[in-house]
Amino acid sequence: MFTPFFYLLRAKGLEVSTTEWLALMEALGKGLCGASLTNFYYMARMILVKSETDFDKYDKAFQEYYKSVKSPDKLPDKFKKWLETQDSEDALERLMKPEDDYNYLMKDKGDKDKKKVEQMFRERKAQQEGRHDGGNQWIGTNGTSAFGHSGKAPGGIRIGGKTGMQSAFAVIDEERYRDWRTDKALNYRQFQVAFRRLRQYSGRLDIPKTELDLDGTINSTCNNGGYLKIEMTQPRKNTVKLLLLFDSGGTMIPYMNLCNNLFQAVDKANHFKDVKTYYFHNCIYSHVYKTPECADGDWVSSDWLFKNLDSDYRVVIVGDMQMAAEELYAPDGNFRGPNDGLSGYEWLQLYKKNFKRIVWLNPSKHDYAKLMDWMQAEAALQELFPTYKLSVKGLNDAIKKLMNPSADFNN
Amino acid sequence: MSKMNSFKGTGEYIASEELLAAVNIAIALQKPLLIKGEPGTGKTMLAEAVAKALGKPLYIWNIKSTTKAQDGLYIYDTVQRLYDSQFGEAGVDDIAHYIKLGKLGEAFKSQEQVVLLIDEIDKADLEFPNDLLWELDKMEFYIHETGETVAAKQRPIVIITSNAEKELPDAFLRRCIFHYIEFPKPELMEDIVKAHFDNLEEALLQEAMKVFYEIRNMRDVRKKPATSELIDWIQALMIGGIPLEKIRKELPFIGVVVKKDEDLETIKRNRAGY
Repeated sequence: MFTPFFYLLRAKGLEVSTTEWLALMEALGKGLCGASLTNFYYMARMILVKSETDFDKYDKAFQEYYKSVKSPDKLPDKFKKWLETQDSEDALERLMKPEDDYNYLMKDKGDKDKKKVEQMFRERKAQQEGRHDGGNQWIGTNGTSAFGHSGKAPGGIRIGGKTGMQSAFAVIDEERYRDWRTDKALNYRQFQVAFRRLRQYSGRLDIPKTELDLDGTINSTCNNGGYLKIEMTQPRKNTVKLLLLFDSGGTMIPYMNLCNNLFQAVDKANHFKDVKTYYFHNCIYSHVYKTPECADGDWVSSDWLFKNLDSDYRVVIVGDMQMAAEELYAPDGNFRGPNDGLSGYEWLQLYKKNFKRIVWLNPSKHDYAKLMDWMQAEAALQELFPTYKLSVKGLNDAIKKLMNPSADFNN
Repeated sequence: MSKMNSFKGTGEYIASEELLAAVNIAIALQKPLLIKGEPGTGKTMLAEAVAKALGKPLYIWNIKSTTKAQDGLYIYDTVQRLYDSQFGEAGVDDIAHYIKLGKLGEAFKSQEQVVLLIDEIDKADLEFPNDLLWELDKMEFYIHETGETVAAKQRPIVIITSNAEKELPDAFLRRCIFHYIEFPKPELMEDIVKAHFDNLEEALLQEAMKVFYEIRNMRDVRKKPATSELIDWIQALMIGGIPLEKIRKELPFIGVVVKKDEDLETIKRNRAGY
C-alpha cells in the first residue's frame, strides 16, 4: 500500500528498515495521525528517521511524493471518516494518489478556507526552507562539484611543471577544506569500532582503587588466617596517545566525507589518553596547522611537536600523497609556507626518527606507484612509511600494525 | 489512544506540538522515545513532566561512561555474600537475598505502569544500547543466579535522552521513536520562561531575551547558551534587582549565560562594534 513511499525513502538514502515500516503501519492502524497530512508527516518522520541530519532527505522524499497536495493541514471530516471506515489498505492507497486527493479536498471548499489553507502552506514552506539550509550545506560540499574541481587538481599537480602547478594551486586555494567537525558524520561507527582496538592497558596510573584484586584478596585472606580480607586495585586504563595529521590539500576534497568519518570517530572516542590533531597541505614541512584551513601563523612547529610529544605517541597520517616531486624534494618546495631549510622528505624523515610508530592512511593508495613515473612522490612515501588504504579494512590493518609490539616500521 | 495516557504538557513544562505528538505516539506504540537536542533544551525534564502529567512514578537511570547494561537489570552482590558467609549471617544460602535490581528491573517489577528515563545514553560504552535490545523489546530479563524471569507487568513508558556524543547503533535506533528538540523560537521561549516564574516583569523578560538571542546568534560563540542558562540568568537578574537599562549596557551576571572564557572575549569584541 504505502510501499512506493518506503522505496522512495530508501532511494533517497534513508536506511528505513522493515521493523520501522511495520511500526508506522501499526501507528496508522491505530489512527494515531488523525487523518491530517501534517500529523502524518511528523509521525512518519519520528518513526522512520532517527537522526536530525536526515530530516532534510526525508523532507525531499515527502515533498516529491506529495507534491501535488497543496493543503498541508486538516483533511475534511468526510475524508477522515472515510479513512476510518474503509479497510485501511484501500484508504491508504487513496492517500498515496495525491492529485486525486487534492481535487477531492478543494472541491467543496469556500474561498475563505482556501486562503487560510494557502497561508498555512506558505508559512510551513518558509519553515521548511529554513530547515533545508543546514542540510544542503553539507550536501553541497559533498556534491559532484567537489569532484569536478578535484579532477583538475591532481592533474595540475601531476604535470609538475611550474605553470601547471600554479593553476592547480589556484584551484586548491578556492576549494579549501571545510572544518569536518561542524558537518555531519555519516557512518563512522565502523571507524569507531576499529579505533577501539587501539588500546594498551596499564594499571600503574594515578587513579583510585575501585576493582577487586582477586589474587591479592586470596593472598591476604590466607595471610589473615582464612578470614576474608578484600584487596582492591586500580582499573586498567588505556595508555595510548595518538597524533593525527590530516592532509587538507585540494586533491583531498573527494575524500572529505571519508576523512570526516575518521575525524569524528577519533574525536568522539574517549578511551585514548591523549589525542592531538593537526593538518598539513600536501606535504609536511616545518609547521603543521591547527585548523583544516591551514592559515598562515595558525600553526605549531614540527620541532615543537618533537620536543613536547614523547616518542610513544602513535602517529596516523592521512593524505593522498599527491604532490609534485619538487614539493617533496626541493628545500624550497613548500609553496605556501616556510621550509626552514629542509625539504619535505627530510622533515618526514625527522618525524620518523622522533615517533617510533607512524602509519600512513591513503584514501587513493596506488599499489603500483613505483612503476609510474608521475607517482614518484607516492612511491617514495610508501617506502618511507607503512601505508594502508583509508578504508575500514585498511584502518584495521594499520591499527594492528600500531599495536603490534614487534612490528617493524622501517619498511 | 486511551484518554488516560495522553500527554498535553504541564504548567511548568511547555512543549511544542510535535513533541507532544511524539510522546503520545511512543506511548501508543509502546516503543521507547529517543530524544535528542542541544544541551539545555529540557530533554531530561520531559520525562519528569510526562510522569507528572500522567500521574505515574518516575524511575531515572542516569548513564555514566562506566555504566554497563547489566547494572540496569540487576547486580549480584557477591562481596556482601562472601562477607556474610564469614560470619554465618542468616540468609546466606539464599542468593535472591543478594540480587539487587537496577532501575530497569525496578521499573519492570512495579505493579503499576511507570515512566522510565534512561538519561544520556550516549555517555556509555559504544555497545551499551545493543546490550539492551532484548530487554527493551520484550520488557523482560532473566536472572541467571536464581533462575527467575523478571517481566514487566505493565510495559513502562521509556524515554531515552542523548546528547549525540556517540552515534547510536542502527539496531537500537530502529526500535525507537525519534524526536529532535529544536531550539525554541522566541515565542515559545517566552512561554517556557514564564512557566518558571510567578512574578516576572514583562520588560525585564523582553530585554533579557533580546540580549540572550543576540548572544546566541553571534557566529563565533562556541558554546551557545540554552534555555536553562536563560532561566538562571533571569533568576539572577531578578534577585540582583538589576535596573533594566543596565542589562544591555553592563551584561551583569553574564557568567551564568556564557561559560567559556573565549566566548566572553567574543562577546566583548562584538559589543565593542555597536
